[in-house]
Amino acid sequence: MSTATPAVAARAPRIQLQEYTLVGVLILLLVAGAILEDSFLTSDNMLNVIRQASVVGVIAIGMTFVIATGGIDLSVGSMVAACAVAGAQFADSGSTMFILGALGMGILLGGINAGAIAYGKVVPFIATLAMFTAARGLALWISDKKPTSVFQLETVRWFGNGEVIGIPSAAIVFLAVTAVGWVLLNRTAYGRHVVAIGGNREAARIAGISVPRVVFSVYVLSGICVAIAAVLVTGRLASASPIVGNLYELDAIAAVVIGGTSLAGGRASIVGTFLGVMTFALIFNLLTLMDLAVEIQQVTKGVIILAAVLIQRRDR
Amino acid sequence: MSMKHLLAPVIVALALGVAACGDDDESSTTASDTTAAEQSGGATNETVAEGGKVKIAFSAPGADHGWMAAITENAKDEAEELGDVELISAEGVTDSAAQADQIETLIQQKPDVLVVLPNEGEALTPVAMKAMAAGIPVVDVDREFSEQGAYRTLITGDNYGIGWQAGNYFADELECKGNVVEIQGIAGISVTEQRSQGFEDAIQDRCKGGIKIIASQPADFVPDKGLSVMENILQAHDDIDAVYTHDDDMAEGVVAAIENAGREDEMFLTGAGGSKNAMERIKEGGLYRATFLYNPSMSASAIRLGRLIARGEGLSELAEPEVPSKITVPATTVTQENVDSVMELGF
Amino acid sequence: MTAAAVLEVRDLVKHYPGARALDGVDFDVRAGEVHCLLGPNGAGKSTLIKCVSGIVEPTAGEVLVDGDPLPTGAPAESLRRGVATIYQELDLVEDLRVYESIFLGHEPRRAGMLDRERMKREARTLLERLDQPRVPVDAYVRTLRPAAQQIVSIARALSQDVRLLIMDEPSAILDDQEVETLFGVVRRLTEAGVGVIYISHRLDEVRRIGDRVTVLSDGRTVATGLPADTPSDVLVEKMVGRRVEQLYPARPVGRDEVVMEVRGITRRPDVRDVSFTLRSGEVLGIGGLVGAGRTELLRLVYGLDRPDAGEVRVDGRRLPPGRPRAAIAAGLGLAPEDRKSQGLLLDWQLAANVSLADLGRFTRAGLIDRSAERSAAGAQLRELDTVPDDVTRVTRELSGGNQQKVVLARWLLHDCRVLLLDEPTRGVDVGAKAEIYRVVAELAARGVAIVVVSSELGELAGLCTRVLVMREGEVVAEVAGEQASELELLRHAVAPTHSEPVLEETA
Repeated sequence: MSTATPAVAARAPRIQLQEYTLVGVLILLLVAGAILEDSFLTSDNMLNVIRQASVVGVIAIGMTFVIATGGIDLSVGSMVAACAVAGAQFADSGSTMFILGALGMGILLGGINAGAIAYGKVVPFIATLAMFTAARGLALWISDKKPTSVFQLETVRWFGNGEVIGIPSAAIVFLAVTAVGWVLLNRTAYGRHVVAIGGNREAARIAGISVPRVVFSVYVLSGICVAIAAVLVTGRLASASPIVGNLYELDAIAAVVIGGTSLAGGRASIVGTFLGVMTFALIFNLLTLMDLAVEIQQVTKGVIILAAVLIQRRDR
Repeated sequence: MSMKHLLAPVIVALALGVAACGDDDESSTTASDTTAAEQSGGATNETVAEGGKVKIAFSAPGADHGWMAAITENAKDEAEELGDVELISAEGVTDSAAQADQIETLIQQKPDVLVVLPNEGEALTPVAMKAMAAGIPVVDVDREFSEQGAYRTLITGDNYGIGWQAGNYFADELECKGNVVEIQGIAGISVTEQRSQGFEDAIQDRCKGGIKIIASQPADFVPDKGLSVMENILQAHDDIDAVYTHDDDMAEGVVAAIENAGREDEMFLTGAGGSKNAMERIKEGGLYRATFLYNPSMSASAIRLGRLIARGEGLSELAEPEVPSKITVPATTVTQENVDSVMELGF
Repeated sequence: MTAAAVLEVRDLVKHYPGARALDGVDFDVRAGEVHCLLGPNGAGKSTLIKCVSGIVEPTAGEVLVDGDPLPTGAPAESLRRGVATIYQELDLVEDLRVYESIFLGHEPRRAGMLDRERMKREARTLLERLDQPRVPVDAYVRTLRPAAQQIVSIARALSQDVRLLIMDEPSAILDDQEVETLFGVVRRLTEAGVGVIYISHRLDEVRRIGDRVTVLSDGRTVATGLPADTPSDVLVEKMVGRRVEQLYPARPVGRDEVVMEVRGITRRPDVRDVSFTLRSGEVLGIGGLVGAGRTELLRLVYGLDRPDAGEVRVDGRRLPPGRPRAAIAAGLGLAPEDRKSQGLLLDWQLAANVSLADLGRFTRAGLIDRSAERSAAGAQLRELDTVPDDVTRVTRELSGGNQQKVVLARWLLHDCRVLLLDEPTRGVDVGAKAEIYRVVAELAARGVAIVVVSSELGELAGLCTRVLVMREGEVVAEVAGEQASELELLRHAVAPTHSEPVLEETA
């Protein structure tokens, strides 16, 4: 039975509205920041913000695909550390081997998540929770609990701190991953299938989509994004540390969700995720610039998240 | 990764398997231990005769960073070196309840002494008191139990001392003038509060406001957070003379931020703890000027103290016949001058 | 002699922002009568009953129960005054036992503790009053069939002093035999003086169970309090505002060419050794009671489940079992029983729902050509007279009948040769039903082979070239379309036939 309200002519998909509101929130933040703190709205600081945002940003793009299928990946933070120290095992053989090592570890651990979830029918929350602890343990184990200097790896360090015509290379990587993610999600059959599975698994199956194969792929994709993030963070620190990546999973999930991707799956927005990541990076930057006490920072951040989500709800 | 490392989980798994099979191995061990304990006299603080082996039980939380790893390693190495100590240890847990369970199990094995680095002092006080009541003296390492009756001896580092030493170092180096940034550990825990308070007290005491703390932010003891926080602070402030960080590992990220910004000549930086990496940087000279020891060697000392307590002996240099009830390890200032002499303590 | 009115609704108006759901509705229900409420989807039936049950607050107008005004927008007050509602989507907690469900929210207590014995005893009494003593009071609701769950809902309403029972499409989830049982229950209620509002899309039910009938259209009462024996075409005309010439189109005749063969397909215990052939251009009906294995048979043919034995051949080639992709590639398409939970992504635009099974055809160099996708989807939707045919509209906004067309358009886009339709007209109004029948007949005329599963045996009798009747997982009869009648089909569906099932007719 249909509801008694006749269809409202809402032609613009709601998701775009949500992106627009987030742009509004960002502009509000920029204006408030410019008033509150002189050093905030400078090109130097803005480049600094996007460089900082790039690590969690790349992870959040992968997370968007996972959440779009109705899943979750809690292991990304620990996997960053595992990928970084795995790469560092090959640090003597040069930057390329470092990157391959990190990617290999990302694909391996992502693949284990993927296999357990897609074919082992383990609930994503549990499978990736197990990986959350296992990957951290692996990182400490491989590294013998000590950071490894990668100062000699010029290319890795370039990814973290280099520039191309004044734009941080980490930011370029983040933007490139965002662009690829956007095309993949919005313009390919694969992306359609990902969202279809999250929206209605049975309908996707009836439409002939191989559900396990697609579910498998998103966790591997998340692992690859994590490996890229591990290269960036290692480059930025000039060392591969087994204790990096703490709580990245929460930052990434929060950014994806305020960006308008539904935690239940079936609705996903790469642009929203990008804006969500930038929102969090700007908040963190502004609050540190103002040197607010940590307790005030935490309360402020919470209030801003809630406000952002509430504003979006009103628009719907 | 050594072979030993690879084998460890396999052995654990096998052990669990055996336990799960309901093998009565454990009960038989306990039985023979009980006999041993009865022979050695049972409940009261009976001493172990010269030449007999001292059985020391050791428990510490899981080694999630270099310092904690060094604590466990130092304890084991020391026991091995002493020769007449049999160490039974349990580590690897990350929450207090699990550590309490572990200690319960250790008590069952009737050790002569229990050496504990509690995950949280308050939460593990009851189980420590239980050990004391069972006639097992407890040596408390680093984090203090909330009841005096829960330990025989406390050996701890000096967190307030780290801040105090650092404050004095800054006062000397900056001649009581300048802008200072403080990168703290995890907000709201006693380690952070004490390291911060000592620093503030010292510069206030010495310089009466001549040194200004222009930014003070937590970075949770992790390098990536240290990097981001410092990057932001560098954006906000053009004139920074020195940076006081609460931890050597975290300082790696702060150093990276300063070097990436090309501002390493503008300021100097200090760490805390005493890691090998930090000491090497201090030796090289430059940005990383000093660190303040919070030495994991204290666990080695704890083993020694435990052995003395079991034998009923005192510290030979002291007049008292028994081990003191509290020992605070000083926060030695490590600079380029003395770094070589303490290098071996680095972890 | 007319009984006193239990419910009177006077000039009821409900405005939503930008829409008038109710625009002056007058309506009354007498004690002991069944008053049927008819109207196309979106006519305002749901809003009306929500106003009476207190879930929705009307903008203007009066609701009187037993002659006294009912405070509006207060569900608890409506319940207290004896107004109970059985919703279409049963609102029972599946993990509770039957007796717990019946007394949920008003459990009898003794000394502060639940009085289980009393709950069970009274639950049994209630079920006996409904002449349903066989419903086990200890069973979990989840284990009951929908029909039995509905009985539990009714018992729950009776557990409080009920004066007016509102039933929103109670027969939609029932097969014909279960509908009979339901009617028995309703008659018992009316004998006890309860007034009943009965909403249904099935016109024949109005005559069988109703005393009077009211027709709603566009939020107004078009006709109120008509006698239940008003001829169907008069009612239909009032509902849709025009005459529906003929409910069923000319019966499709199959061609000779065999498209699909099903041989001995089995998945215990639901489907046992089912074989049939399907010819190009024919509409093959599959009838039977709920639980006879009809939906399960379609799932096996389509590869959603794996059979224990048997095979499906399309154009003589065997389909690999358990692989919907292969079935689709061979030209099969399935419109599942529950469009909303199995067929469609309701938040998606129409275009994306239409193209979902065949994105490959629009992919150029890895990317979807969206304008090609939209124009192809639009063409298919227009061909089916879907309203609206604007492909950027969100699927959720469409009526049930038009959503069904979106599913059909998906398979037509794919040049589907065998369409499996599971309950294609469930929950759609009579005007939309006629539309769907017309589309099915047209597709058949184009040569598509169509299998229709339906619980409405009259529908199968009116639409199909041949009808197979299933009982307990087996095909028990095959009836030619011209000879099929609702009664004939029901006879096969319920009673054991002693003759061998006729599976192969000489064409």
